[in-house]
Amino acid sequence: MRISAGNLKKSEFVNFQGGICQVMKADFYSPGKGSALMKARLKNLITAKNVEYAFKSNEQVETLDVVSVDMQYIYKDQENLYFMDERTFNQVSFPISVVGEVSRFFKEGEKMFVYMFDDKPLTIRPPMSVRLKITGADDAAKGDTVSGAKKPVTVETGATVMAPIFVKVGETISINPETGEYTGRV
Amino acid sequence: MEIKTTTKNLDNYKIYLQVEEAVHEFMEKNKYLKIDLPVLSPALIPESYLQVFETDFKFLDKKEKLYLIPSPELFLKRLLAYGVGDCYYLGKSFRNADPPATLHSYEFVMLEFYKMDADYMGIADVVLKLLQSISRKLQVTSYKLQNKIIYKGKKISFEKWEKITVQKAFKKYAGISEKELFNHKLFIEKAKEKGYSINTSTYEDLWSQIYSQEIEPHLGTNGFPTLIYDYPKEFAALAKLNPDGRTTQRFEFYIDGIELGDCYTELTDWKEQEKRFNNEKKVIHPIDKGYIEALKYGLNDCSGIAIGLERLAMIFANLTSIDQLKLINIS
Repeated sequence: MRISAGNLKKSEFVNFQGGICQVMKADFYSPGKGSALMKARLKNLITAKNVEYAFKSNEQVETLDVVSVDMQYIYKDQENLYFMDERTFNQVSFPISVVGEVSRFFKEGEKMFVYMFDDKPLTIRPPMSVRLKITGADDAAKGDTVSGAKKPVTVETGATVMAPIFVKVGETISINPETGEYTGRV
Repeated sequence: MEIKTTTKNLDNYKIYLQVEEAVHEFMEKNKYLKIDLPVLSPALIPESYLQVFETDFKFLDKKEKLYLIPSPELFLKRLLAYGVGDCYYLGKSFRNADPPATLHSYEFVMLEFYKMDADYMGIADVVLKLLQSISRKLQVTSYKLQNKIIYKGKKISFEKWEKITVQKAFKKYAGISEKELFNHKLFIEKAKEKGYSINTSTYEDLWSQIYSQEIEPHLGTNGFPTLIYDYPKEFAALAKLNPDGRTTQRFEFYIDGIELGDCYTELTDWKEQEKRFNNEKKVIHPIDKGYIEALKYGLNDCSGIAIGLERLAMIFANLTSIDQLKLINIS
């Protein structure tokens, strides 16, 4: 569907310069000279790169019906991550290099959303938060009571994150996979 | 649209009030006459990039179209021609088709002031003093900084301007040469090269896209407010041209990439103004003929600036959206 850029909304999908992009931000802006603009931040789903672009507000933009499909993460090898559609048992794979750092926090068997367009899988939609068990952590050093002090801990997927010194092996913590930040104890 | 009421912005709103008060104090101290104006007018100045609100005045069987003013300029310029002298308006202006956004609202508070016998750089000096004056007033209760504020963790000093011409800014930030900037064909080619969609786009459209995309984010980010000046004549509106014939005596000023004000050395030549008005297309409202009449009567040299008060208060309150200043928001 073609719409005026002035009607772009956050989280919509558009065709931008031939790439499938998600609108991360769209803010109306009128410079008081020339035409009004829609200042957008677009995330290319395939390259995961963000680009800023000022559309003319009456410029035509093609929106795309990208859908999210529930899939199960099965395993990874050196290069790819493998997912399965539980209804059709179809398998799809994505290069680790495209999915990026977030894949360090994927646990086998977990459900995730995969973006599909025209029945073709594009990439995975990173979860907002993942819950993982701590498999390795040093005990907090005695006397280290500085508030906000952190230590590295290893979680069950093998990834390392900085977490408060009070967390222990065997506990489950939540992590924002996109930033790699500890967000709480579960 | 719905009405959203909140008192969690009360502290921000109080900062807004202090900024407003500081402006009135500054203007009074510097002998600018406060002018109250109608916001509904039967005619307006033609500015085709502005969309206006219209309504009907009805009395018995009479009906007349009225328009909400997109700026107080049409009234203030008449008064200037009739000799009112240095003056200012601090009140509402309205622009249709400006949806509520972080820096926009279809209804907003504008400070517009005029100084006689001054050119645009004369206004720049006044604006710097105004910024200093507001920061001093706010320091009493908040910041312990001399003529400085902290915006989004960065210090901004009002001791001086960072000044840059539009031409230098396009060269520095967008890699567009002087030749390309002033030649429509070369400019459009350059825009295409940069990946902008040039179909159905005019020079003015593409210029605005590149300006907003590649230039503005750098302005007012080096510890001082940035004053960017001498716009191409296509953006002259009601401003006087420079002797070079291709740029206009217009400046805008920025803090952290946000445009806060727009200043012209006023065009006083009525013939030139009438010509520019006649070139404005897409205008739906009656054109204010009295404006040209006032210029014919004789407008002495003067300059004026329009400043978005909510944006300015937003900076002083260290906020990122103008709705954070308000107790009632409609969106």
